Amino acid sequence: MAQADTPIISIEHFKMTFGGKTVISDLSFEVKRGEVFGFLGSNGSGKTTTIRALLGIYQPSGGKLHINGKPFAVDGGTKLGYLPEERGLYKKESVLDVMLYFGQLKGLSKDEARKRSLAYLERVKLTDKANTQLEKLSGGQQQKIQLGITVMNDPDLLILDEPTKGFDPVNRRLLMDIIEEHQKAGATVIFVTHQMEEVERLCDRIILLKDGTAHAYGSVADVKKKFGGLSLDDIFIKVYGDENAAAEESN
Amino acid sequence: MHNLGTVFRFEVIRTLKKKSFWIGALSFPIIIGLMFAIIFLSNKSLDDAEEDMKDAQFSLAVTDTAGHVNPSILKSVKAQTTDDKEQAISDVKSGKLDAYYYYPQDLTKDRVEVYAKDVGLFDNSKYESVAKSLLQATASAEVDPQATQVLQDRVGFTAVTYKNGQQFDGFKELILPGLFLVLFYLLIAMFGNQMLTSTTEEKENRVIEMILTTIQARTLIIGKILALIVLALIQMVIILIPIILAYLLFRTQLDLPNLDLTSIPIDPTRIIISALIFIFSFLLFTGLLVAIGAAAPTAKEAGSFFTVVIVFIFGPLYAFPLFISMPDALLVKVLSLFPLTAPVPLMLRNAVGNLTTIEAILGILILAVCAVIALAVAIRLFRYGALEYSKRLSLGAIFKREA
Repeated sequence: MAQADTPIISIEHFKMTFGGKTVISDLSFEVKRGEVFGFLGSNGSGKTTTIRALLGIYQPSGGKLHINGKPFAVDGGTKLGYLPEERGLYKKESVLDVMLYFGQLKGLSKDEARKRSLAYLERVKLTDKANTQLEKLSGGQQQKIQLGITVMNDPDLLILDEPTKGFDPVNRRLLMDIIEEHQKAGATVIFVTHQMEEVERLCDRIILLKDGTAHAYGSVADVKKKFGGLSLDDIFIKVYGDENAAAEESN
Repeated sequence: MHNLGTVFRFEVIRTLKKKSFWIGALSFPIIIGLMFAIIFLSNKSLDDAEEDMKDAQFSLAVTDTAGHVNPSILKSVKAQTTDDKEQAISDVKSGKLDAYYYYPQDLTKDRVEVYAKDVGLFDNSKYESVAKSLLQATASAEVDPQATQVLQDRVGFTAVTYKNGQQFDGFKELILPGLFLVLFYLLIAMFGNQMLTSTTEEKENRVIEMILTTIQARTLIIGKILALIVLALIQMVIILIPIILAYLLFRTQLDLPNLDLTSIPIDPTRIIISALIFIFSFLLFTGLLVAIGAAAPTAKEAGSFFTVVIVFIFGPLYAFPLFISMPDALLVKVLSLFPLTAPVPLMLRNAVGNLTTIEAILGILILAVCAVIALAVAIRLFRYGALEYSKRLSLGAIFKREA
């Protein structure tokens, strides 16, 4: 059983190369139990790669990536909710069938999965779509379903990779509410995003990834202090502005 | 593996909900049913035509200067004889006469001429049939009935062959072991494409990351394979039921042979060998097809590899006579033990009884080992290759990830 004061995630000297190209050179950080942790970086900085390596989808080229003191395993005892950056579900199946399927795969009984699915659909005003094929839903509606599946098992660890991508302000607010609810219920949340406003609102601590290492790491207040009290938006522009300008120039 | 049942149920139920499954499943029995119906109707039409012919009432004139047709038979069909061919043809043209037959002097050199009033595409054939039956009836009356049987190829034969002092019927012996070859062929033909595309869906729908962080890749693949097997069995039942019903209810009308199932010999050793070859062949090709599906970026691209696999599996059927008559030929040995071509020669040779015990054991072992390797590769490809959404994977790239 993991101790309450031990980090839920610990990453030590993580290294990742693809075909000779180093994406992550040396990355180490921890995520404390029960906190909302912001994982920030420009496009291609290695955020998603780190998450995938942490969850065993990629084999790391070096270092240790542990959840609750050991490499992640599906049957390893951690109740995980993961919303990947690459979104998608079984498009030809009905909303409810897919929710029931994932609910059962996550360990719920069929009845419990049905109860939770219907409650969620009611909350996000999609009850009338329960028996509709997923491909007939709008992109935003499909994302809401995927979010519902992610949180259906009341996860201990919630990893959300750019969860607000494609959401309108109303649904973004709904998402934030759901994240807050789970955090209050004791879940640890890792939040991969570009939206600094959301980071300011939700995150306890953050890490800024640049050139394959941690450029800044600590509480939101500490990071702001390090950059002379700039807002997170300004910090983001200051840290990654050169990269974006170079990328635009090369384009 | 506790999620195996969930994956299995999900895969089976969603496939059973698909229209495409039922179109595929029902099209075969429907085609078979239509064929049976056509055979039944054509047999019935033939019978009816024969019946009609017996009672054929049409005015007929005949020229038979050589006396090929018995006059009493001509009289029985109320045919009038004439020597004026031109007049008779003219009467047919004007409708005074329904038909006119001209029997030549020498039937071995010249043809019988039939002139008749049109009564429709199919019914017109009755004129020729009657002309022919007049000749046959005359010949039958004049020839010994035994000779008629010989000439009409109606003599029945009963053959008894012996092997190692025991009565042996080669054809009946191959029925039960040979069934596995038929089953293998049907399964691959009907479900090969589904096996190939079973994992591309997760890839194309971008659902792979959620799946891989929820259940083990092994559980998903095995669940999918089990679902495919059950769906294949359902499809077999859908195909077999109408065939069995048609056989039991309409055997006589369809002119099907009467099968005495109790006389089929049961050789447990050969049946077990065939079953083992079938199981490991099926697993080998399932693993192979799933691996190709996991390696290819889309179902369409995976489909292009299917033909190659089919050539390997069923290509050896072209060497069918060789497997039966020359079991010791080098080509036969090679095809029997090369894993990708082995299923057909092994099952076929076991069915006809020329597969040695050593070859059977060796073949089964090769297939079993290759099946395990293929399934392991398939799972690994799915596990580590499925995120390469737009790339075709190489085995080298996949196994390098271990380092």
